[in-house]
Amino acid sequence: MRSLFSLLKRILSTAWGWLREWSGDAAYERYQRSRATILRRERELSRTEFYLDQLRRKYSKPSRCC
Amino acid sequence: MKRFLHIAIWVAISLLGAVALSTIALNRVEPLNATWFVLAAACCFLVAFRFYSAFLAARVFALDNTRATPAERRDDGRDFVPTNKWVLLGHHFAAIAGPGPLVGPTLAAQFGYLPGTLWLIAGAVLGGCVQDFVILFCSMRRDGKSLGQMAREEVSRRGGFLAQLAVLAIMVILLAVVGLVVVNALKDSPWAAFTLAMTVPIALLMGVYLRYWRPGRVLEASLLGIVMIVFVVVAGQWVAAAPSWVRVFTLSGPALAMAIIAYGFAASALPVWLLLAPRDYLSAFIKVGAIFALAGGILLVRPTIQMPALTRFVDGSGPVFAGKIFPFCFITIACGAVSGFHSLISSGTTPKMILHEGHARMIGYGAMLMESFVGVMAMVAACAMAPGVYFAINGPAGIVGASAEAAARTISGWGFALDAQTMHDLARAVGERTLLNRAGGAPSLAVGMAQIFSSTIGGPRLLSIWYHFAIMFEALFILTVLDAGTRVGRFMIQELGGRVWKPFARSGWTPGILFSSGLIVAAWGYFLYQGVVDPLGGINSLWPLFGISNQLLAAVALVVATTILLKMGRTRWIWVTLVPMAWLVSATMTASYQKIFSLDPRIGFLSFASALASQIAAGQIPAANIAATQRLIFNQRLDAAVTAALALMILVLIVEALYQWYSLLSRRMEPALQETPYVATQWAEAD
Repeated sequence: MRSLFSLLKRILSTAWGWLREWSGDAAYERYQRSRATILRRERELSRTEFYLDQLRRKYSKPSRCC
Repeated sequence: MKRFLHIAIWVAISLLGAVALSTIALNRVEPLNATWFVLAAACCFLVAFRFYSAFLAARVFALDNTRATPAERRDDGRDFVPTNKWVLLGHHFAAIAGPGPLVGPTLAAQFGYLPGTLWLIAGAVLGGCVQDFVILFCSMRRDGKSLGQMAREEVSRRGGFLAQLAVLAIMVILLAVVGLVVVNALKDSPWAAFTLAMTVPIALLMGVYLRYWRPGRVLEASLLGIVMIVFVVVAGQWVAAAPSWVRVFTLSGPALAMAIIAYGFAASALPVWLLLAPRDYLSAFIKVGAIFALAGGILLVRPTIQMPALTRFVDGSGPVFAGKIFPFCFITIACGAVSGFHSLISSGTTPKMILHEGHARMIGYGAMLMESFVGVMAMVAACAMAPGVYFAINGPAGIVGASAEAAARTISGWGFALDAQTMHDLARAVGERTLLNRAGGAPSLAVGMAQIFSSTIGGPRLLSIWYHFAIMFEALFILTVLDAGTRVGRFMIQELGGRVWKPFARSGWTPGILFSSGLIVAAWGYFLYQGVVDPLGGINSLWPLFGISNQLLAAVALVVATTILLKMGRTRWIWVTLVPMAWLVSATMTASYQKIFSLDPRIGFLSFASALASQIAAGQIPAANIAATQRLIFNQRLDAAVTAALALMILVLIVEALYQWYSLLSRRMEPALQETPYVATQWAEAD
């Protein structure tokens, strides 16, 4: 029963993680992780700056199809 | 034993698919159940994914999981972002799934269920999925370059420029036609117009929330937005019952067109965080939710298909749009089978986010199979309603008549039983004054969806709520395509203008933003308005134009892919792109020729213009209508010129590519492949 519960917990946690990734909710955390692993020259963006930068990039090229 | 079981399972799936397809194709005795459609599509797609996409991945593209992808080599956490395969599949599917796979099959249902269903399945497996997969592969091997850049580098400089121009032209026609679908869905419907109008303040509120209160917390804001949307869908019935509000929200076609044009300009010129992005979040959630709900509803309800396999309109005299099965079925159903626009997504964000090369198979080929499955479900929803009702909703007033009584007479005369009371009752049941003459596919799909949903939850009591939920869902994500497309079109105009005068290309220069936004909105707004005032319903002219341009773009993508395969030395396998390309070129060129030169005024733009001119000359047009008729003549000639220009651009590109293929095959030219050099991955092997 306990193992079933932990399996369910793991599945829900993975699904929640994917949902956050898919929706863009986790994008800033991913950006911070990426900065932590690769040395960069530019200043780290704040959450708001990063959000606006993401939108600018996404909507300057075709992002939605017919 | 394991191998035997594996073989047995795939043999069983293949046999089940064959039986289901044969039943759809050959059964003429008993009414079909929708389950056969679901089974046929699911089994064919599973077999195609398991075998054909594996063949493409291993033999043709030789995907290499030891090779680092752009996301690994250039990881910057912003553009190049290594992303989980399933998350990226969701991203890619949300990006490619637009209104096309819902509207196209609904319109093509006028031929009967058979031609469209077969084209959806075969077109996706052999054409659409191959195009998406090959372009994703090519772009991934070139650091995520766009289709235009690849055309310039691999085919010719002129080819790249022509591809860019073609994309802009296609964008203009696409935005006009999707705008027309929204107009026809909302006109004279205060409930639907109120619901959609309310999505604007909801999006603005979400935009402020995401920008100032909780930056980037998309899930919270979307949940808030969805709750408000559900409330306004329900509240719409109270608005529709209040005479003072009915006056405000009952809008004619031209008034709605002007409102949509103003909205497009605002969405393009305003900051993206304020209106466009929050609407897109809302739309993505509702779109995915509604698609899964439709699939679940069809499986639960298992409706009986009422449309015949083939209707009398295979002869080209269809009321929804004129033209025979070949080529018009193959350009009407674009996005659900093959969509050139997908190549822009496959060479856009997705190739920069792939974790391992092997994932391109699931994302490129698999996502398109899912989209085609959506198209099959739309076909089921359209064909599950009585054919008479389908033609009454989708037929323009000029053909079926403007009243329920006239429509019932005309449609019954075609052999599809319909009485006027049925249309009155249906309109009342869904909370509308009338459902007649709403060409465009959205309202008939909404009726089909509402009937399926209400059979699952709520019964007839909730039919009107489900209908307006479906209309809101379709209009919401059509407008998302419209505002995102207008913005991209604005950037394209700024980029092209920047070649003439550099400051024009600056993205932050307000006069440039306003001028280019005005230009792109004026371009699609013109076509939208002409569609709204067209006596044949507009869809008859604009949807084929959109289908032709979209399929021509697919032909461009396959030309580029064939050139790259030749340069890679895969001459033996170029049929994988060459066959769908040849089919698309023949279908689109035939359709272009017929749309321009056909002697039938309902098909040929020029003959319709001549017929109208003759009527003026013969004094058959009242003096008050002469100016409007002359505008209509001009519009028909303009449509002919646009079709000819598109076909000519693509022909030039094909001729250039053919010359290059000849040079490569005859060894007069050394293949100069523009791939990024091999770098070994540092990550673990792909799952």
